Amino acid sequence: MDYKAVIIGGSAGSFQVVTRILNSLPKSFPMPVLLCLHRLKHVRSGFVEALSLKSNIPVDEPYDKEQLKPSRAYLAPANYHMYLELANRIALSTEDAVNHSRPSIDLAFITAANAYRQKLIGIILSGANKDGAFGLKKVRDNGGVTIVQDPNECEVRTMTQSTLQLTPVDHVLTTDQIIKFLNKL
Amino acid sequence: MTELGVVDIREIYRTINDTYGYDFSQFAMTSFKQRLERLMIRNNISNTENLINKIKSGDEFFDLFLYEVSVPSTEMFRDPSLWRWLREEFFQEAVAKSLSKFRIWVPNCVSGGELYSLVIVLHEMDLLEKVEIIATTISNKSIEYIKEGRYDLKKLEVSIENYKRFHGHSDFSDYYKLDRYYAFRDTSYLDSVEFRKQKINFDNSPQNVRLILFRNNLIYFNPTLQEKVLQHMFDCLSANGYLITGIREQIRNAGTGKDFEVVNEAECVYKKRIAV
Repeated sequence: MDYKAVIIGGSAGSFQVVTRILNSLPKSFPMPVLLCLHRLKHVRSGFVEALSLKSNIPVDEPYDKEQLKPSRAYLAPANYHMYLELANRIALSTEDAVNHSRPSIDLAFITAANAYRQKLIGIILSGANKDGAFGLKKVRDNGGVTIVQDPNECEVRTMTQSTLQLTPVDHVLTTDQIIKFLNKL
Repeated sequence: MTELGVVDIREIYRTINDTYGYDFSQFAMTSFKQRLERLMIRNNISNTENLINKIKSGDEFFDLFLYEVSVPSTEMFRDPSLWRWLREEFFQEAVAKSLSKFRIWVPNCVSGGELYSLVIVLHEMDLLEKVEIIATTISNKSIEYIKEGRYDLKKLEVSIENYKRFHGHSDFSDYYKLDRYYAFRDTSYLDSVEFRKQKINFDNSPQNVRLILFRNNLIYFNPTLQEKVLQHMFDCLSANGYLITGIREQIRNAGTGKDFEVVNEAECVYKKRIAV
């Protein structure tokens, strides 16, 4: 199967997991990685730099309508929703917060699922909010691959458990297993 | 909830264009779809056909439509560092020393958050007398809403925090009153603002503008329309006029980008560059 993108959502307790994933991806990872992580609205800088430190692929906060490229990671900027627009472009939005969140993981996943359908891999990690559950369901409804971090491994289980309650998923994996899975793509 | 497909959205574009002469077809598709779906839920409209009939029903619904498809500003003093820069680096020089009234244009005002932040800064600097502010909106409802001063309590909390980070000179509570469900902004600060209705193609735009405050609006357009709108903004600016966009709206990507020089990269402040 030829996948177009990986999208990862996480909140409290996901930073270390994302860092490990980015650290283990090959430099030539064949698709873009979209990161929608809850973050403080008013802190604009620091996060992308921290994620970049140990990442094997460049991590950027995209500009509006930026074209996605493989072997790069795109972090949703503070206080913007990040959508997938037609023609492989990012679109940003300042619409109301969803699940008290901007960026909202649900909105990022829903729009990515609409854009990539069965060619999307969605991953939900540790978090203290149900944002992301509905989004991953949409990935599944559109035929994409759905992965949830093993709640037993999560620092905070609310996000992964709400997701598993809402939708069946393809895989429940530990961080090590997620890394193995991505490295086989 | 109805999910709108591309065909539905195209039909909606066509109806609006045929009935009112507004062309939404170059708006960013994903956001516009979200706005339409939200509007349908809020107004109990169950399918595309019903929405189209409502749109055709006349100006009253269409004004509401224009209001609800527009995205309001998030909270007051978003990006406090920009507002600090405006106060400390920009207004002190540009406005205080200006010989004529300094014309500022705030296009696409939906809820007035940016406008209200602007008048507070100028008020605290005692410069309101020296400026002429023109706010343009696409719906009458926006003008009513802004003049009424009603403000969502959810946004108030963040606005208060932002104002603290801006290091405002007053207590933010001087600027609003609370009732049970809403905050009401003290609208007397808006007395000198001129409100104008505009179409989405920015007809009726003010000319010889010294500063255009246009943050987080370009994101709702596709790249072609972004370029067109930037060209229009460029034409509306006076020589050496300034344009401020949202911090993730990169005008260097657009065709007109070469005509603007960067004044403050982090806050996305640009200056019109005049060909020599």
